[in-house]
Amino acid sequence: MSRLWKLLSGPEDIGQSAWFWVGFAALIIFFLYYPAVITEFEASSISYYLLNIPLALGLCLLWGYAGVLSFGQVAYFGIAGYVYGVVAGNMIGNPWGPLVGSIAGLTASAIIAAIFGYFVFYARVQMWIAPILTLVFTLLLETFLGQTAGYQWRIGSVQLGGYNGMTGIPSFQLGKLVFFGYSFYYYVLIVVLICFLACRMLVSSRHGHVLLAIREDPVRTELFGYDIRARQLVIFVIAAVLAGISGLLYVQWGNYITPTQVGLLQAALPVIWVAVGGRDSLIAVAITTYLLNWLTYALSSAGNQYALVIIGALLVCVMLFFPKGIIVTLARELPRRGWRSAFTER
Amino acid sequence: MAEILATEALAKRFGGVIATDNVTLKVMPGELRCIIGPNGAGKSTLFALLCGIHRPDAGRVLLKGQDVTFLPAFRRVRLGVGLTFQNNRAYHHLTVRQNLEAPLRPDRHDQPKDAHERFLYALKLFGLDPMSDLPARELPHDQLQWLEIAMVLAGGPDLLLLDEPTAGLSPDETLKTARVLRHLNEAGLTIVVVEHDIAFVREVARKVTVLHQGRVFAEGTVTEITAHDDVRKIYLGRA
Repeated sequence: MSRLWKLLSGPEDIGQSAWFWVGFAALIIFFLYYPAVITEFEASSISYYLLNIPLALGLCLLWGYAGVLSFGQVAYFGIAGYVYGVVAGNMIGNPWGPLVGSIAGLTASAIIAAIFGYFVFYARVQMWIAPILTLVFTLLLETFLGQTAGYQWRIGSVQLGGYNGMTGIPSFQLGKLVFFGYSFYYYVLIVVLICFLACRMLVSSRHGHVLLAIREDPVRTELFGYDIRARQLVIFVIAAVLAGISGLLYVQWGNYITPTQVGLLQAALPVIWVAVGGRDSLIAVAITTYLLNWLTYALSSAGNQYALVIIGALLVCVMLFFPKGIIVTLARELPRRGWRSAFTER
Repeated sequence: MAEILATEALAKRFGGVIATDNVTLKVMPGELRCIIGPNGAGKSTLFALLCGIHRPDAGRVLLKGQDVTFLPAFRRVRLGVGLTFQNNRAYHHLTVRQNLEAPLRPDRHDQPKDAHERFLYALKLFGLDPMSDLPARELPHDQLQWLEIAMVLAGGPDLLLLDEPTAGLSPDETLKTARVLRHLNEAGLTIVVVEHDIAFVREVARKVTVLHQGRVFAEGTVTEITAHDDVRKIYLGRA
């Protein structure tokens, strides 16, 4: 038990004090109670803000903790979503179809990430080449999915649908229990909470420490006897699975997916969520992902056509004034380094 | 007794520049060997060839009798080698504790018995607190330099390769480093130091190899080497 507590409260993320955990517990209780006072539609909207958190946590692990920036995390989001749509769509009527589809979606994301990551990391692709390759991969995927319009692009009874996307994707269900509305909200909340706590334990574990060392100096770490290629590949696959979890939750939430979900705009958003909060803190990334999704939705639904411009401008401001991220600067750097140096990159 | 580290006719060229040329070395277990030479003598290239950062164009590197010439660096390290670099490469943005934990590979079960004592001894003499949560970048330069040596010792090597471990240190700090290395060597650790600080070499070395223009120019005890006219000429600039 004390080992578990140590892993959850490691110094690798913000929040080790008892007060942090009291606040965290209060937040969870609030989220558990909240559906009692909101409509089912509002609960569904909150589910959407929450479901992007695993995708952002994966990028946080990869970029903030392992030092590998990926612009292509949405590719694994899309792969899991599409595979789920195909498998569960072909098993309509089978109460375990969505579960089989979920497992298939995550497995597909993991396998494709492992193949792609193998070539990137074992070829020792350096510097900015890796992020560019990840972006190229997701754009290729978007282009491919975009040209799948037409009857010939169907798998079993499911149409891929080109830029119109795949529609009629089944909601998640376990046996006879179908998750939608309030029950979907609780399902998303539990999945996101498990992802967050698992990531927190990972970064405080021995493997997490090695990731930090790789981020700081890959050559030095290799010369302590670590096969850094394998370590980077493992974290890349974990990040892809987390993106896949978000992809699954997304298609189970909206029952559709289109190629734009793996396009350039969507590829940039996780980078903004992670950078704004602070890429080397899981809790900061979880908070900003939720808030920025809420902000985008609120601006768009209020008729503001410039929602994404505002989000982009926010990224520019953060890069200029809070290069380590707003939450990380205020919660970690300011108390530790004071006003003079807290706002600098290093 | 077999050599712990050996090279056979090792050669490396970069374009038209011959950095290492036909270098044959033999280091016995328990030795404290210094490799010296003027700037451009090929010391750093030889170091990179020994630890696997560069691949040689010709020749072989043998560790504990095993041909490791084409083995990646991390696999050589797993044979019990510890390395530090000319430029300090402690993890400046991690804490002292995290720095000292990083080399503790969970898969390493074959540490020499006395490795942990050597590590504790070095920590004590260097004045480093293994539980400190101070970021390494906030340490003074001497402690940062020593931290990297302590990190390498934490991994439990039986052969230590050090590239200019006294770079940027004051004479007193250099002397302290020399004293610790000598003690570690007396405690059974084989050490190979690439260095150009002759005062440090005089303090620690039993045997010295002089490199010049990529080749082994001379080899012998410190007394023999410092009395060698040609070495004085090429290295110290006077006959």
